[in-house]
Amino acid sequence: MEKKNGNTSLITSNQLRWFYYLVPVAALIIPFVANEYLLWIVNAILVYTLVTVGFNIIIGNLGQLAFANTAFFGIGAYTSAILMVYGGVPYTLSILMSAIVGGLAGFLASVTALRGIRLYYLAIITLAFGELMRWVYLHGDDVTKGSDGLRIPDDIFFLGIPLDSEVPKFFVFLLLAVLLVKATSNLMRSRIGRAIVAIRENEATTASLGIHTARYIVLAFVWSGSVVGVAGAMFAVLTERVLPEAFGLTEVIIHFGMVLVGGTGSIVGSVIGAITLTTLPEYFRQFPGMDELFFGIIIVLVLLFLPKGIVSLLWRISPAFKERYYRD
Amino acid sequence: MDIFLQLTLSGLSQGAIFALIALSLTVVYRATTIVNFGHGDFVMAGAFFVYVLVIYVELPYVFAAISAVLIMLGMGLGVSRGFIDPIKAGPHIGFAMMSISLGYVLRGGARFLWGREVFPMPRVFDIEPFFIGNLVVTGDVLFISAIVAVFLLIFFFIFYRTTTGVIIQAVYQSERGATLIGVNVRAFHQSMWGVGLAMGALAGILIAPISLLHPDLGATFLIRGFAAMTLGGFGSLGGAVVGGLLLGVAEQLFGFYINSSLQDITAYLIIVAVLVIRPAGLFGRTVTVRV
Amino acid sequence: MKSFLIKCMFGAMALGVLLIGNTVKAEDWETTGLTDKAIKVGVMGPFTGNASSYSKTQIGLMAYFKHINDQGGIHGRKFEMFPEDTACAPAKGIAAAKKLVHQDKVFYLHGNSCSAVAMAVKPTVSPTGIPWIIAHAVNPKITMPVNEKKSIYHGVPAGPAYGSTMGEFVMSKPGAKRIAMITHTNDWAKAYCDPAIKVIKATGGEIVLEQALERGQTDATAQVLKLKGAKPDFILGCLYEAETVIFLRDAKKYGLRIPVMGTAGTDLENTLERLGDKDAVKDYYVLHAFVDKVDGPKMKKWNDIILKYNPDETITGFSAVSMASGVAAVKALQNVGPDLTRSKFIAELDKIKGLSTGILACDITWSATDRHGCKKSAVAGFVDGNPTVLSSWGKPW
Repeated sequence: MEKKNGNTSLITSNQLRWFYYLVPVAALIIPFVANEYLLWIVNAILVYTLVTVGFNIIIGNLGQLAFANTAFFGIGAYTSAILMVYGGVPYTLSILMSAIVGGLAGFLASVTALRGIRLYYLAIITLAFGELMRWVYLHGDDVTKGSDGLRIPDDIFFLGIPLDSEVPKFFVFLLLAVLLVKATSNLMRSRIGRAIVAIRENEATTASLGIHTARYIVLAFVWSGSVVGVAGAMFAVLTERVLPEAFGLTEVIIHFGMVLVGGTGSIVGSVIGAITLTTLPEYFRQFPGMDELFFGIIIVLVLLFLPKGIVSLLWRISPAFKERYYRD
Repeated sequence: MDIFLQLTLSGLSQGAIFALIALSLTVVYRATTIVNFGHGDFVMAGAFFVYVLVIYVELPYVFAAISAVLIMLGMGLGVSRGFIDPIKAGPHIGFAMMSISLGYVLRGGARFLWGREVFPMPRVFDIEPFFIGNLVVTGDVLFISAIVAVFLLIFFFIFYRTTTGVIIQAVYQSERGATLIGVNVRAFHQSMWGVGLAMGALAGILIAPISLLHPDLGATFLIRGFAAMTLGGFGSLGGAVVGGLLLGVAEQLFGFYINSSLQDITAYLIIVAVLVIRPAGLFGRTVTVRV
Repeated sequence: MKSFLIKCMFGAMALGVLLIGNTVKAEDWETTGLTDKAIKVGVMGPFTGNASSYSKTQIGLMAYFKHINDQGGIHGRKFEMFPEDTACAPAKGIAAAKKLVHQDKVFYLHGNSCSAVAMAVKPTVSPTGIPWIIAHAVNPKITMPVNEKKSIYHGVPAGPAYGSTMGEFVMSKPGAKRIAMITHTNDWAKAYCDPAIKVIKATGGEIVLEQALERGQTDATAQVLKLKGAKPDFILGCLYEAETVIFLRDAKKYGLRIPVMGTAGTDLENTLERLGDKDAVKDYYVLHAFVDKVDGPKMKKWNDIILKYNPDETITGFSAVSMASGVAAVKALQNVGPDLTRSKFIAELDKIKGLSTGILACDITWSATDRHGCKKSAVAGFVDGNPTVLSSWGKPW
């Protein structure tokens, strides 16, 4: 398995694999040292990790400018909340349903791409999809409680663990994040993942090789929708009230920023992006009123000087950090 | 019938603004294949420059407006040179994020300087409303429609009837061809960014007296500009104008005859409807890929 | 490897659950955020984002606290303020609340514009039992029914108080019966309009037409023409200021000369200034929380305090709103005496009865069972071309 890059690099890809396993294990220490506020931020990072990993499949791996991510996120959150509030469905099951409904939304969004719509045109249509969903939350009064938002029940359990404070939420979120990141990573390394990247590189050539491009485009959207849908279900529990305002245009811009700041098409980059753009705004709290300015400046700087995202700094340490889905 | 005409009239004056924004987006898009997602904030910036020039520098309004348009023209050149050129090699995703981020910087800057306040924009002309039959026509409607109409005439005259216009069309057709006959494509891109932002600024200046001046001014217009582009046919100049006008009228008619709560999402509904019925829009060339 | 990982996680999970059981000791909780010299107070507000004009209320509140500090503070303690930005966005608001409660460890919370954020923050703050005074947001559900720990207070009129004032004023016009409304579709507008509708229906009126006008729209032709066709006696307008201006402009344009009743989200003189047309605001009546005009003589004292600490601030109808609950909080803190605890503070807040703040048109009364401190509001409108504070149709305050 080990690649022959030992001469030039400090870390081999095999060592790196162990390092990746160590990160979540090391994270287990966090609840013992962090207060509820810091833990809340960590939990938010875990949610946004999945949001970014899911979004990156479409933006980075498939290379499509589809902005339906907040739609998936909101649909996941509302699915979970509605099932818990009205159906008395256990949280664990509602997460599964969020994944399924999120996947369906992904399928719906992929229809646009299948009609041959690309680039900015696709971006605008998917943005419209997100905003229409927000209108539905806002006007679906009887079910969504409109702008008051849907308060999720107090007593929710994940496999018997009561999620009544940030600590148990942390363990559950970490588990979900690790499982889904690992699954996504496996998927992207498989034949399917390679086909998806091939479509990004050259759609026509890929098709001419006899690969069913449509099938893989749909698959990428569905997987992305499911992952982000699960993130939505986590977000519902994190914020304890699902509000239409949380799924507006600004939100999708933040998601997009996370993907680009971390590194497009990179899972490690997605995690870095989620961490960076969740913690920095908290850090900037000490300069009130300058949020948007900082957000804009940071992304402009990253785009100009680190066009491949912050993850490219790691590549300088060792090429092993590059996630290769296909041979160069 | 009176009501229908009245709705159409005010829809057209709203639509004129949407048309201007859609056209300014299209000018940049046709030249550079980039859609400026931060355009709303540039529209806002144009209006803010007028405010600063009128209130702080005490320039007469018309001069302030012209200066603001010129400032935005310069800003367009700068944006293209300083922020778009350096990432030319990257994917389109980078351009989208770059334009959004630049917009954020502008909005953040405006918020930092004038955050808690909302300003009434000085008014230029106060014309008493007058009647044509039962139709009420106000100064705003007249003013906006007249300026936009004159501007469009000049724009399309230059585009289709002058040498400059022919060159622009040539570059739109084929950049390589244009380079071969000695056109500086890079300078061309920069100037189209300049023209795009200047036109956006004009839209901002026209709408600000009505919408009032605040840092979020541009956001609602951007999505309507997108809808107008989609409706008219993505990338079509004439289509952007027609799309804008139709969108303006459609919002009014939807609001009155169907349900006023639909007015706000008319733009989104149109985007989705166009996709389902005719992805190329009214006047669009094929924008879809066949694989 | 994976199964080991999962085992690890569940092990740690069990540990974590044990850990939460071990909460802070009771005495610590009582005096968290207090020193001999300082009372830490968390002030949440939308300092950025598209609702940042509301943060003027937090600026006013903090100016009042600074004013108290400069007069020697309360029993030797001075207010130490922790302003936190919510950007009027739920997730950001929750982060702000968690920071104030768990990191800055403030003694109590005071502030909050944006009802949606207050509702989003409630699950975080309510179980901690930390005293929390809502100084601006209007959604009544934030404070009522009283939360389990009995710790949340409303220091401004909540929706029902404002809304019923609107309803009563509308119905006080002789012959008013057919009422139409134009509203945003958000919780803010509902907080005003729903209770108003209730009062109107209870006193023999009927709602003949409902129109939506969303935020950011710049034309109200369709809505105005619909309203004109319905021929109502009075129009309820639950709109923010920018849209109110657009609505009134178009109403005049199409000759809709029917009185309009607006919310506390707009201010009569601001509206006039923005419209620049006295004729268009002639029929506009608006909730007015204060005892006097925004720049009237009775408000001068308060405006001067704001300007002393914020010389560049423009005073609007929002500026002094939160100061009233500031006065109430200071009174309660003074009454507690030097041995301040959270329980004693809550007990003293509940003893505040009929407190006339000299700012709001209502007296603040709190009790253990009713936390809507402010029950009424005045109305402002133009009488013979002069802005006047009114109590009902044609009657000055």
